[in-house]
Amino acid sequence: MSVSLCKVFPHLQNAEVSLDVQHPVPLFLPVRTKKRYFIPPAVGMKGKGEENTEAKARAAGIVFRQQYFERPINIACTAGIFDPYVPPEGDARLSSLSKGGLKQRTEQIRQSAASQLAIRKIKEHDSEFTTKDFSERAQEIFIEAHNCLTQFNKEKLHSLVTERCYPEMTRGNRYKTICWRFLESLEPPRVVHARCPDMVSKGNLYGQVTVRMHSKQTLAIYDRFGRLMLGSEEQPKDVLEYLVIERHLVNPYGRWRLHGKIVPSWAPTKDPVIKTVMIPGPKLKPGEEFDALNYSVPKPEAVQWNK
Amino acid sequence: HMVYNSDDHKEDFLRNRRSSKGQRGVMSEVREKLGRTERVLGGGAQQLSCLHTSASLESKNWERRNLKVYPPQLPNEQRRAAEIHHSRRQIKYSKDKMWYLAKMIRGMSIDEAIAQLEFNDKKGAKIMKEVLLEAQEMAVKNHNVEYKSNLYVAESFSGKGKYLKRIRYHGRGMFGIMDKVYSHYFVKLVEGSPPQMEQKTSFDQAKEYVQSLKNRTIIHGL
Repeated sequence: MSVSLCKVFPHLQNAEVSLDVQHPVPLFLPVRTKKRYFIPPAVGMKGKGEENTEAKARAAGIVFRQQYFERPINIACTAGIFDPYVPPEGDARLSSLSKGGLKQRTEQIRQSAASQLAIRKIKEHDSEFTTKDFSERAQEIFIEAHNCLTQFNKEKLHSLVTERCYPEMTRGNRYKTICWRFLESLEPPRVVHARCPDMVSKGNLYGQVTVRMHSKQTLAIYDRFGRLMLGSEEQPKDVLEYLVIERHLVNPYGRWRLHGKIVPSWAPTKDPVIKTVMIPGPKLKPGEEFDALNYSVPKPEAVQWNK
Repeated sequence: HMVYNSDDHKEDFLRNRRSSKGQRGVMSEVREKLGRTERVLGGGAQQLSCLHTSASLESKNWERRNLKVYPPQLPNEQRRAAEIHHSRRQIKYSKDKMWYLAKMIRGMSIDEAIAQLEFNDKKGAKIMKEVLLEAQEMAVKNHNVEYKSNLYVAESFSGKGKYLKRIRYHGRGMFGIMDKVYSHYFVKLVEGSPPQMEQKTSFDQAKEYVQSLKNRTIIHGL
């Protein structure tokens, strides 16, 4: 390209230009012959060689960033809940004074041996761990995390919630407005279950503690246009939850973070969305007709799942 | 004196050209060299304003309208209608030919529009029908629209895409530059039934004309 530059500006090669020009300089420069035709650069490129484009880019000074073909693995949290707690049937329904309620209480007080072992292991790594103290902290973490979710404070949310739980909490929420309020706690939170699984290598301990909470909350989700999608602002609901809090024990900078929730199989069905939704109908053989009157919507089976 | 190009405008333009991927032709390199020398000499012309500051070639403003979030509505307010913006870029069709179809479906309900496009013989009709179906699906899935038929076409228009240039050979060694035309198509669906356009009869129009004649004021008249 230097050849064409000489042709275009022959008299400017040795000119000394001062930058502080007082009077305006015309922006058009006299050129010997002006090219009056235009050939699109795509013409004449019949055989494009791959090296040509790469060499040209390198000569022009374009630097491509190094491409990493790696898949990132996160070791700060586990991928699931190990040996999940199975909450007993009718947990919050029976009062402590009835026979069924007393039985439940005795079982809970005993608590299984594995949980005791796990709590002992956690106390090895974190000496100031007590179940009473921890359950309150767990509730605080829960409330803080949900407040961050309503304000979309991502940085703080990452510190309160593990990497496995974060996408589950925030999926589909970016263009929605969530209004959540924690009104009061009906029963003091309690540690019901603890496990200390070690991942990949022995000694790489993670502590997972399940906390049972019974509280009053309000939830209202608005869609992109500010219309109510789910719940209501005024009507509070009694919520019984089993939260799983996790910490990477071996890591000195590890923190107790919300890892997930356990939804028991006997949980009552959630409120429906304020919208009519189409569900897929039964598969019909050719010639069959869909009988809307005698068709019953199949109910999903009651299985415990953890979110 | 007449200014052909402002310096700042050229700098932005060059920056955009350099940043966009693809073949850098001969012309852009020459223009770069011109730009560098001109910047040195034309120092007095820096008070000119640069008009086109945003990258006008890759800006996807229509799609960005889908990302706007409104604050929650109070219960006594009227329910805001959902608006879904959708587009398709670089359709191998002329924007003028596309305009006829876009004008046809303006104001129709979505079912009517899809039906009309399905039985239209033009090439653009098939593409437009796909765009409308995509937009309808997006509305139900992502934008919380309850009934997929409860939508109507509020805005629909076509725009010019980026053209490819080729040579068209004429006789006697003459040639012309042939444009391979591309177009964009934009559509906005709004929830609700289509608004009724008031039909003006010819008698009404005549009455209005007579009234406008009567309303003329004659200045400096007796």
